[in-house]
Amino acid sequence: MKHLPKHIRPRWRYLAVEIDAPIDASFDRGDFQRELWYSAGNLLGDPGSADADLTVYMFSLTDGRGEAIVRTRRGETGPARAAIACVHAIDDTPVGVRVRGISGTVRACEERYLGRATGAIYENEVAFGGDRRHADCRSDELAIHLPTATVCATQLDIE
Amino acid sequence: MKTTKPTPNKPDSMYEAAPAYPSADSTASRMAKAAAQYGYDGIVIQTREAEYDPAAIAERYGVDVARGIEIHAETPESASGSIGNFRNEYTVLAIRGGTNALNRFAVEQDRVDVLTRPMAGDGNFNHVLARAAVEHGVRVEFDFGPVLRQTGGKRVQALSALRKLRELVAQYDTPYVVSVRPRSHRHLRAPRELRAVGETIGFDPDWIEAGLAEWGRLVARNRERASDSFIAPGVKRGKYEKDDRRTR
Repeated sequence: MKHLPKHIRPRWRYLAVEIDAPIDASFDRGDFQRELWYSAGNLLGDPGSADADLTVYMFSLTDGRGEAIVRTRRGETGPARAAIACVHAIDDTPVGVRVRGISGTVRACEERYLGRATGAIYENEVAFGGDRRHADCRSDELAIHLPTATVCATQLDIE
Repeated sequence: MKTTKPTPNKPDSMYEAAPAYPSADSTASRMAKAAAQYGYDGIVIQTREAEYDPAAIAERYGVDVARGIEIHAETPESASGSIGNFRNEYTVLAIRGGTNALNRFAVEQDRVDVLTRPMAGDGNFNHVLARAAVEHGVRVEFDFGPVLRQTGGKRVQALSALRKLRELVAQYDTPYVVSVRPRSHRHLRAPRELRAVGETIGFDPDWIEAGLAEWGRLVARNRERASDSFIAPGVKRGKYEKDDRRTR
C-alpha cells in the first residue's frame, strides 16, 4: 500500500530499555516482544495496548546484559513505561528492566543511550558464607552458585 | 564507578525498602547497587540476618543504606516481644501485617514505624485502623509487588485492595510508604517507572513519589532521634545559639 504523506504519519517515540538478566539467559527479540505484549495487554487492556503500540525495534543480549529499543506512539510514553516496568520475567528468566531514556528517532536513541560496555565475565572461586563457592563475576558483581540457589552479590560481600 | 558521597535526607530523597540474602536472592550490597543504578538515594535493608557494612556500601555506590527490620510474627504477642528487643538496634522497624489482629496491633504501637503489606493474606484495613495509624504515626505500606509481578485474578485482587487502602488513607490522611517488596535486585523498578505504573492504576504520580520519599524521611527522623543530642521532639542538648542570647 502506498505509504502515508509525511504530515499525517503517526509520530513515534523510542524508549531505550536496559535489561538485566542472569548470565546464562538466552531469550531473543521475539521472546521479549511477546512478554511486552502480554504485559501491556494485561496492564493496559486491549484498547490501551493498541494505543501504546509497543514494538521492539532493536534488541541485543550478551551474557545477561540486554539493550532494546521499544517504539511507542507519541503521547503514550507513560503507559509504555508502565507496561515495560511490569515485565519481570522473559521465558521464566527473571529480569530487571529500566528505561534509560526516550528519543524522537531511533538514531538519537541509539547514540545517546545504547552501546554501553558491559564488561567481561570471568569465573572465580570465592569465600562466601564460610565456604569456597564457584562464582561468575563481572566488574564487581558476582553470581555465587550455592547448592540450592544462585545469590547475586558484589565484591563487598567477599572482602 | 560512582564515588560521590550520598546526600541523604534532602527533602525529596527517594528510598526503597528491600530484604537481603538470606531472605532474598541478592545480598544487601547488590540490592543497594541496583537501587543506586535505578536512581534511588537510599535503601532500607529489612532483613535482620543480613550481613553488610552500610558505610562501605555508601562509600562505593553512593547510596545511603539504613538498617531496618521487618518483624514477621504469627501473633501480636510475639511481635510485641520483638519490638522491645529490636527497636533500639534498627533505624526502621516494620511489622509484617496480613492478619486483622497483627494489623490492629501494629497501627496502635508508637514504636512501630511501618505496617507492611496490610492487605496480604487474610488482612484487611478499615477506618478504625486508618485513624489509629494517624494517631500513632505508623506508616501503612502500599505493596506494588503483585501489581508488577502477578497476573490474572491475583493481580485483580491486589489492585482492588490497593484501591481500598488508597481511599482510606486519603480520607484520614494516614501516613504511608510505597514499596515494590523485591525478592531480588531484579525486582526493583525506577521511581519514574513506578510513577507510570501508579498513574495507570489510578494513583496520582506525585503521591507515589511521596510514598518513596517517606522512607527517607523516616530514616532521617529516626537517626536524629537516636543521636546523643536528642532528648524529646523539639528539645536538643547543645550550646545556646548566639542570636538567642543577644535578644534576651
